[in-house]
This record gives sequence, structure tokens and C-alpha cells, in this order.
Amino acid sequence: MTERNDGSGVRAGRRINRRDFLKMSGAGLAGAALLGASGCGGGGGGSGNIVFSMGPDDPNKSFTKLIDKFNKQHKGEFQVVHREMPTDTGLYFDKLRTEFQAGGGEIDVIGGDVIWPIQFAAQGWVQDLSDNFPASEQNKFLPAPIAASTYEGAIYAVPWFEDAGLLYSRSDLLEQAGYSAPPETWDELKEMALKTSQDTGTKYGFLFQGRNYEGGVCNALEYIRTHGGDVLSDVTSGKVIIDSPEAAAGLETYRSMITSGAAPQAVSNYTETEGDPLFENGDSVFFREWPGVYGDLGSGDFKVKQEQVSVSPIPVDPGNQSSSTLGGWTFMINAQTDMPDEAWEFVKFMSSYESFKFRAIEGGYISARQAILDDPEVQKAIPTVKLAKDVLLDYATSRPVTQFYGDMSLEMQSQFNDALTGDVTPQQAVETLQKNLTTIMKQAD
Amino acid sequence: MASATATEKGAGRSALNMVLFYVFLVIFVFMSVFPLLWVFKMSIVTKTELYATPPTFLPQNISGAEWAQVLGDSTFQKALINSSIIAGVTTVICLFFGSIAAYAISRLRFRFKGTVMTLILAISFFPAVAIIAPLFIQYTQLGIIDTYASVIITDTVFALPLTIWLLVAFFRELPVDLEDAARVDGATTIQAFRKVIVPLAAPGVFTTAILTFIYAWNEFLFANTFLFDENTQPVTVVIPNFATIYTVDYGAQAAASVIVTVPLVILVLIFQRRIVSGLTAGAVKG
Amino acid sequence: MTTASTEKKGRGWFKEEFGNPERRAAYYMVLPSLLIIMVVAFFPILYGIVLSLTDSTVTAFGSFVGLENYTEMFQDPDFRVGLFNTVIFTVASVTLEFVIGLAIALAVNRAFRGRGLVRAAILVPWAFPTVISAVMWRLMFQPGIGIFQYLAETIGLVSGPVLSDPALLLIAATLIDVWKTTPFMALLLLAGLQVIPGEVYEAARVDGANVWQRFFRITLPLLKGAILVAVLFRTLDAYRVYDLFWAFGARELQSLSTYVYEGVRISQLQFGPGNAAAVFIFVTAFLIALFFIKVLGMQTSAEE
Repeated sequence: MTERNDGSGVRAGRRINRRDFLKMSGAGLAGAALLGASGCGGGGGGSGNIVFSMGPDDPNKSFTKLIDKFNKQHKGEFQVVHREMPTDTGLYFDKLRTEFQAGGGEIDVIGGDVIWPIQFAAQGWVQDLSDNFPASEQNKFLPAPIAASTYEGAIYAVPWFEDAGLLYSRSDLLEQAGYSAPPETWDELKEMALKTSQDTGTKYGFLFQGRNYEGGVCNALEYIRTHGGDVLSDVTSGKVIIDSPEAAAGLETYRSMITSGAAPQAVSNYTETEGDPLFENGDSVFFREWPGVYGDLGSGDFKVKQEQVSVSPIPVDPGNQSSSTLGGWTFMINAQTDMPDEAWEFVKFMSSYESFKFRAIEGGYISARQAILDDPEVQKAIPTVKLAKDVLLDYATSRPVTQFYGDMSLEMQSQFNDALTGDVTPQQAVETLQKNLTTIMKQAD
Repeated sequence: MASATATEKGAGRSALNMVLFYVFLVIFVFMSVFPLLWVFKMSIVTKTELYATPPTFLPQNISGAEWAQVLGDSTFQKALINSSIIAGVTTVICLFFGSIAAYAISRLRFRFKGTVMTLILAISFFPAVAIIAPLFIQYTQLGIIDTYASVIITDTVFALPLTIWLLVAFFRELPVDLEDAARVDGATTIQAFRKVIVPLAAPGVFTTAILTFIYAWNEFLFANTFLFDENTQPVTVVIPNFATIYTVDYGAQAAASVIVTVPLVILVLIFQRRIVSGLTAGAVKG
Repeated sequence: MTTASTEKKGRGWFKEEFGNPERRAAYYMVLPSLLIIMVVAFFPILYGIVLSLTDSTVTAFGSFVGLENYTEMFQDPDFRVGLFNTVIFTVASVTLEFVIGLAIALAVNRAFRGRGLVRAAILVPWAFPTVISAVMWRLMFQPGIGIFQYLAETIGLVSGPVLSDPALLLIAATLIDVWKTTPFMALLLLAGLQVIPGEVYEAARVDGANVWQRFFRITLPLLKGAILVAVLFRTLDAYRVYDLFWAFGARELQSLSTYVYEGVRISQLQFGPGNAAAVFIFVTAFLIALFFIKVLGMQTSAEE
């Protein structure tokens, strides 16, 4: 190494900064610009505007049109801005949670998944709507989502649109195999799936979502509940009661779908995405999915038409009632909003009869207001709505929603999937869940 | 080394060796490249052919639909932009701080040089996952969660060892008395730097830039942890979600994967000599 | 050269170091990089250690609970699965990559036509983002459309979807990593091989040494430095595996790193054990590196 006692080394060393100085300025400017530009994450809040957060709108832009209508009505007073959130509910939840944890955020009205109100309410992040939304009004809505939005006696969300698990059957294939109606019990389902797929040469008998994700919990709960078991003694609180013979029997049936050959082993990895194209391509006799699939039939590349498919409630274990896991979306108001009255105006508008009817016809959404489901125009627009109504009224139950539903869900996702693949026995699964869920529930006190 | 004996047996064996050698090479090249080719095929066939069993080996029904869908998808476009920004800014910052540090380490004398190098090297052993929680908390408090800054800062830290390591190796190759020689010829220090050092160091800096860019482009853990929506997420986060969240089909996911990888592959192929010499220079001489 | 390992920035010998303008300039030049590294990497790990000793959550700093998080972590079956998978994966992938990589390096260590093509083939898998390559491989194992799932079933190697079986997932992930990284290992070893002068082999051949003797007595010892560097880096990389397991296994394949991520970012109640695992990874990685350097005698390139 050279000795640089004449100081030239120092100058040479410093001089490198010349070229890099330009780089640095560029980097500095870019950095500052980015920090500034992306720092507020595309917000639009601030004075005079209500920020409504929700995932992207559907191709018919149904709620965007409603927002435009509302903004016209309130021109000069305040406007509503849609802040687009991730399509994936998990990511969306993460984002909201991070904003709330950081101190409140700029969002005023939240379009949220039906399992969020209680989790948010427990942290004090969303407003108690009991004053504006009394029991007399609540009765006009479907009972299941109302229950899922109630925490410690107060209501924290206004239900928006709902989903419930349904059984899709290829009635044309069933006819070929000699059946005249969809199955009503699980055993019938297995039998019909095996015989029909064999007789008609269809690849799969029955498809559903069994992966270790939220949808897997929805599926497995249907088996547990149609056997008479459940997770909690009350949907939003109470004791953990999953360790019961009924629940274990439910998981037994769940597993038997694969072991009997009715469903392929691959379903333990399926979400809606994997199964949809298979059923819509004609590769399966039966399919468990949300109501939206019916509208997709016959469009695009896929072969199966609506006339070939009939929809029915989830099968049961004899002697029990059907059960569909509730899905859907609600409206909530940020507890930190500085425009609570305006926020409520918007929620009231979006949850009005007219708005719901508009979205039902425009976008095929099943609204939470009971009266909508009886409206003849809506029934014409959504053929499944009559059935969906019965299911939603009588059979739809929310997932158990508590303050720590996130962690409970992780446990259930894992155990239900393990039971489905045979990694654990149903008895082991319910015992492990009993232990772990009880631990989690204790934390909520 | 193939034996150079002149006996017939040796010649025969030598020919056999050569054949085996080339067969081996072909297999090796094929295995390296096959997955990319196959996924490319998946992206250009129709949906029905994609789901056909058994899978077809040569594409029969070619369709550009998936590529069109992906390229037109706004989430994907934003992801490409995000990746470019994150990787680009990280590279620039790393080159700036890294080249200064590398110059000092490679051409100046000071005590504790060993300690400094060890500390910098230690980062490349550092399990990044160990600090995602503390960083997440700190970044939230600073308000930079879900912005480019969070990922750029973190990527810079973990890319710096690579940058410095490579630049040190390159700078060490420059003749020691370069600056002095130029000055003897009458150039000022600035001129010496610009006319002598810069041109000689440029290839090294350029190679370092490419490798740093590739590193930042491929980064996943931090992007996945700190960024939540499509305005900031780079392709590494968006593409795994493609099949289940943003679109509903595997063809699109395949197309997106190919679109993202092909530029990198082209870049690597064009600059392969430089890249290889850069990577190995660091390993051997460093 | 004094071993000033306890003082990071040289607070001692003040006048000698900082009085000299050249030396001062050198310190200024390395200072920004060091500062960034300290602030963004080393201080957070200290904070992480503190966190792991409390019952904090993401939002609130909790109270001191001693080693409770660590006990919980060790009792957590998910952690044990993650640890098991990570160790198996590390040992298997590094061993395979080393052996195959060395074979490739030896075979390719000569001039031949098509060298550019081979070099390109080596670099292509390396250039992929790990996540994207995991996604591609997952596509190729996807039941119904995946070529490798189909082949494996047809040959009779597997009876069900690879993506549903934890053991098969681990094996597949290991093989994918070998596919992606062996070329790079080969490259490093090749560079080391090329430094060995040909005359050494000539002399040995003249002395009557056969291929194996040449390999074990000459090649390996002279390659030791490069081997240790390559193996250490690969070992630590494999030990930290996250991208591959996360994207290929879609949460069905657990490693130490995915356990940490799930604990601190996904769940709400597992923050404590997640942090404990983070510290665990850090300490064990450090010990592995230490082992290589001290026990196996690896030279860190810092010495001149």
C-alpha cells in the first residue's frame, strides 16, 4: 500500500465524490421525492372529504356509480373519495391494522369483511353505531351478519352484501346416472358423486376448498356444524366446545370425502381458484362454493352452462340442520374520524333499499336487507337469490368471531387441513383445537 | 485434463471422453434452462390445453391472451415500476456509499481496516429475518411503512457488503501509482481522476451496479413484510399472489413469471463475462 | 496491527489515527456505510433481543418476562417442524450442491467450444428471483397442469400431489434449491480451480500420481480456501431459507424463517415466540459462522 504523506491521497480520495456527488444528488432527490410522494400512500382525506376504503370495484362499477350519485346529491357540502385497497382480504386487513396501530389513519368509512367488525371493535378502532342503527332497523337485515357485527351488546357495522356456502350439482349428469335431485346428506353426496362420475366418465366427483387458509375454515366448519358440533358456545363469545363427538364426526366426514374417492386428494390444496376452472370446464359433478359462481357459468372459455347446474343447501348428517358459513362485507366507521355525521350519511345511503337493489341488479350482489331478497326484479336478476335467501335466513352462521380471530383462524386452518389430509385424526384435531383455542380465548379477557 | 498420450487406446479413450463430455454439457445446459422454457410454453397455450392431461410437450394451441392480459394488468404494470424504482434507487445509493468506502479500504491506509471489513462482511452472514419485527415497529413509528423508503433503506444495508466487496476487488486491480503517474504528466488531481481512474474503474463499477440491481430486484422478504398494496409492491410480491388474488389463472402467472425473468436473463447473458469475473474476482482475490 | 476488536470505530490511539488527515479522510469515507449498517442492522437486533424478553406485541411494548418466550417457542410444534425442516434442508442442499458443483467445476475446467453457452446456462437459474423460480416450480407441480407432478405420478414415484405432502414438499424444495444454486457453487469452485497452476499437476503426473491421488492430495488442499468460503455462504443462505419455502409451499412448508415471519407479521399472539425464534436464528447463524472461521480455519478476506 502506498504511503501518501504528501496529502495527495487525501485529495484523490475526496475527489471521488465528484462523480458520486452527482449520483448522490440524484439519489437524494429521488429519495426525497419518493418519501414525499409515497409517504401518504395515496390518501385523499383531509378536510371536506370522506375517505371510503374498499377493494377494487366489480367490472360493472356498481358501487362507484353509487358514490357518484351520492356526491351529486351532496355537491358543495362534502364529497366521498374511494381509496382503493388490495383485492386480497388478508392484505387489506394487514393494511388497515397497520394504519390503526400507527394512530388512526385518514379513512372514515371502511368497507370490511364480515369477520372484521368484532376484531376492530375489541381494539376500539371502530365506532359504536347503536344510536344510529337501533334494533328496529337491525331487524330489517339478515340476522347472521347482524350477530357477527355485535360486540358486547353494541353494534359496530352495517351489513352490506352476503355470501354463504352452497352446493352446486351438475343436474344433467345426475339425470344420466339416474338421480333426480341433489343430495341432502353427506353419505348421499359421496354415493352420488362416485356413481355419477363413474357412469358419465367425469373426472372428479366432488370439489371443494380444503387448503390451510380462511376458505378451508369455512368449508370444514360446515361439516362440523351439520353434524351438530361447533367451535364456540356462542358465535362471538362463550366457551370453546370444539372437542365433542359431533365435531370429530364432522371432521371424519370431511376426511372421508377424500378417502372414499369422491374428491381428489388435491382438494387439500385447493382454494376457489383451483376448483373454479375445473368445475366450470365440466370436470366435476359436485362443487361447494359461494353464490357468485353461478353467474360465471357459461361465460368465457368454459363449457358448463347455467341450465346444467342446480344449487342446493349444504348437505347434512341425518337429524341435523344444514349450515353454511357466512361470508360477506359490511360498513364500519373509523372511531377516529373527524366527520362522524357525514360518514354516517354515506353509510346510510349505501345501505338504503335503493342502493342495495341497484347493486343487486347491476352486480348480482346478495344484499343484507331481507326485503330485497323478495323483490321480484332482484329475483329475476339473480336466479339463485331465492335459494340464497333461505340459506342465509335459516342456515347461515358466521365463523366464530372474537378479538383474536386472526390467531384462532390460523389454528383452525392448520388443524382442519391436517385432519383433511390424514396427518392427524379428527379426534386429535379437535383436542388440539380445544387446547389452543382455549389458550387464545383466555388472552381476550 | 484429457490425457495427451499418443497411444491408440489413449486416443480412443480421448474421443470417448470428448463425447461424454459434450453429452454431459448438453444435459447440464438443458436442465438449467428447461424450467424457463416449460413455463414459457405454459404461458402461450390456451387454457384448455393448459389443463390437458397428459400435458402436451410441444404447444399446439398457441394464444397470446395470457401475455396480453398480464401486460395490460394495471397491478402488474405498477409492480414492474415499483421493482424498477426500488432496485434502481438502492443501486444508486449503494454505489455512492459503497464506492467511497471501497476506495478507502482498497487504496488508503488506516488502522482498524480489518475490523471495518469484518463488520461489513458480517452483514452478509446476517439473518435478515431476525430483524423484521424491530424494523417493522421502527418504520411504523417513522411513518414509512408501506412506502418505498422502508424497503430501499433495508435493501441498501444488505446489498452494501456485496457492493463494497466487488468494488474493493475491482479497485485493487488498478495500478497503485495511477493517480501519481497522471499528476506527474501535469494533470491536476481532478483531471487524473476523471481521465484515468474513472475510465479504468468504470467497467468494475458497471458490473457492480448490475449485480446490485439484480440483488435488489430479486429481494422478497422485506418487500413482503413492509409493503401492503399495489402502489408499492414489487413483482416478487405480486407474482406469487397472481394465481389466487389478482387474476384467476395459472397461465397469467406463468406469463408474468416469464416477463419478469426474461430481461434479467438477457441482461445476464449479455454481461456474462463481466458478471462471472466480478463474482469470482471477489471470491478469489478478495 | 493491534486487535482492536472491541472498539468498533477506534476511539483509542486518538491522535495517531485522527490527527493524520489521510487517515481521517479514510474514516470519513467508510463512516456512512458503517453507520447505515449499524443503525439498520445491529441496533435492531439488540432491540429484537430486548423484545424477545418481554411480552410485547406489535403495538405495545410489554413487560419483562424473562425466558418465557423461549420456552414457549421450544414447545411449539410448529417451531420444531421448522427447525427440523431447516436443518435437513441445509445439510442436504449444501452437500448435494457441493458435490455436484465440484464435479461440474472439475469437468468444465478446461478450454472447449461452447464455453460461453455453458457459462450462460450456469447463470440463468441464478438470475431468477428465488420467489419467481419457486412460483414456476409450483406451477410445474400443480395437480392438473404441472409437468413434474404428472411425471412423478406416471413413474410411480408419488401417489398424490407433491404439494400436499409435507415430506415431499421438503424434498422437492431441496431439489429446486439444488437446481438453482449448484451452478453458482460450480462457478465459485471453478474460479478456485483456475488459480491452481497446471504445472503442479504435471509434476504430480510425472511422479506417477493417478487421478484420485492428484485429486485428494493436490486439488482439494489447494482448493480448501474457496471450498470453505463457498460452503459457508451456502450453509448460511440455506439456513435462512424463506423465499423458497414461502412461495413454493404456500404456508404448508415451515422453516425457521417462515416461523418467525408468521409469528411477528401474521398472528397476533405469537409475537413473543416469533421474536425468540428470530434471536435464535441470529445466534445460531453466528455460531455456524464462528465454527467455520475458527475451527475449520477459513480465512476471512479482511486480512491482507
